[in-house]
Amino acid sequence: MIDFVHVVKTYPNGTVALNDITLHIDDGEFVFVVGASGAGKTTLMKLILREEKVTSGKIIVDDVDITKLSYFKVPHYRRNLGVVFQDFRLFPKKTIYENVAFAMQVVGTPMKVIKRRVPALLKTVNLSEKSKCFPNELSGGEQQRVALARALANNPSLIIADEPTGNIDPKMSLEIMNLLLKINKLGKTVIVVTHEKNLVDYYKQRVVILDHGTIIDDRVGGMYE
Amino acid sequence: MRRYRVSYFIGQALQGIWRNGVMSFASIAVLMSCLVVLGAFTLLVVNINTNLENLDEANKIIVFLDYNLTEEQIVDIERQIKKIKEAETVKRITADEALRSLAKRAGENALLYDDYFKDNPLSDSFEITYDDVKDLTTIEFELQSIEGVRKYRDQRYIVNLISDIKSGVLFVFLWFLVMLFIVSVFIIINTIKLSVYSRKNEISIMRYVGATGWFISLPFILEGAIIGLFASIIAYFVEEYLYKSLVGSLGISIEIITLIPFSELAGGILAVFIIIGVTTGIMGSSISLSKYTKK
Repeated sequence: MIDFVHVVKTYPNGTVALNDITLHIDDGEFVFVVGASGAGKTTLMKLILREEKVTSGKIIVDDVDITKLSYFKVPHYRRNLGVVFQDFRLFPKKTIYENVAFAMQVVGTPMKVIKRRVPALLKTVNLSEKSKCFPNELSGGEQQRVALARALANNPSLIIADEPTGNIDPKMSLEIMNLLLKINKLGKTVIVVTHEKNLVDYYKQRVVILDHGTIIDDRVGGMYE
Repeated sequence: MRRYRVSYFIGQALQGIWRNGVMSFASIAVLMSCLVVLGAFTLLVVNINTNLENLDEANKIIVFLDYNLTEEQIVDIERQIKKIKEAETVKRITADEALRSLAKRAGENALLYDDYFKDNPLSDSFEITYDDVKDLTTIEFELQSIEGVRKYRDQRYIVNLISDIKSGVLFVFLWFLVMLFIVSVFIIINTIKLSVYSRKNEISIMRYVGATGWFISLPFILEGAIIGLFASIIAYFVEEYLYKSLVGSLGISIEIITLIPFSELAGGILAVFIIIGVTTGIMGSSISLSKYTKK
């Protein structure tokens, strides 16, 4: 589903963030991308999101070379992705329901579909009773669950989570990871960018380890060493 | 079929204006000032043009003849003047008619002219009208060769004076306008930048969930357009108030000037204000957005 083919990313200041990365991720896989700060995790995520362009090489997602996507086609490509951030990025003045609905509104989903789908999404993340609450009335873990529901709003086939447990306590972290696994079991491909060793080691999924822009280890059931 | 609610875009635009109240107010105030100045200069130029057209005295030469000419000599001079093809009409004014006209203009002091009727110090004259101010030099050249012509007086200096004033006004006006518009556009750019900045989180989420560039941009474009619209409507009422006040005071004191009623120009002014205001707003928004929506 996702293929990185000899991808190099060099920033204008000369920093080589990714150096000749070749990586294949199948449909429905669950992958941890780990590494220290500056290893290239965020750049890898930004390239998949097409927020940055490669310097050389190509990235193929669902048989489409996204490095050649025109500016106008990028939004349509992103509708097939769901993103979760460390800092949740929820709208503080919108209710939980509105936060999730917003992701559907911006892509022009009809209101009747939104009304049907948002409660179902909130049920998936166990937040049905809190649909009328505002983000500041929820715990960090609950806010991240709302972010997950929003990431699922447009029914993407790929979920990218950037340090999803970085701002929440260990118990809640497990809850979020379990939820991501549950989503993975529903057939979605999940990529989790993290540097939390304990979580990676606990879940025994595929682990891709980056170091100074290169992949130094890639194996299923790997450990973050 | 994708459906978007217009109310969403307008709501977001109004919210942006409200959130950055001070900058929005500054943008509206500067753009409004710019439009008021534009309107004032336009009204000035329109009025100058109208008064120039009304100035029928302008295309006229008065030819004064020598004293003590015989009637035959005067008729001969008239015949020669009429031969000048640039002269459209030629009208003789006898010395008595000229004196009566002077006395009439003197009004209450007409009695002062009584003595002159016994021994008229004026000479006969001819009033020549012409079509184009360019013909004036030719007519005056021909007049110089006619014997019995003492002097002539044209109104070219008035025409030139008014034309000079008009050119000066237009020059100052254009510079003022260019400067004010640049300032307006910059202030709007900054207002929209603040608006974009305050919503950058929202914009990044929109981008990640696949919102198109126009979906993200439209509220900001509308914000600029609404600022422009507010500025143009306020400018229209300010202009109307100022012009009516001016007509009220000048209309009494300077009767020779014809001031066009505001109602005759109102529709045009409002339309031009709205077009310029909204276009400036949209331009400012588009410039400030180009950086944010291209990722």
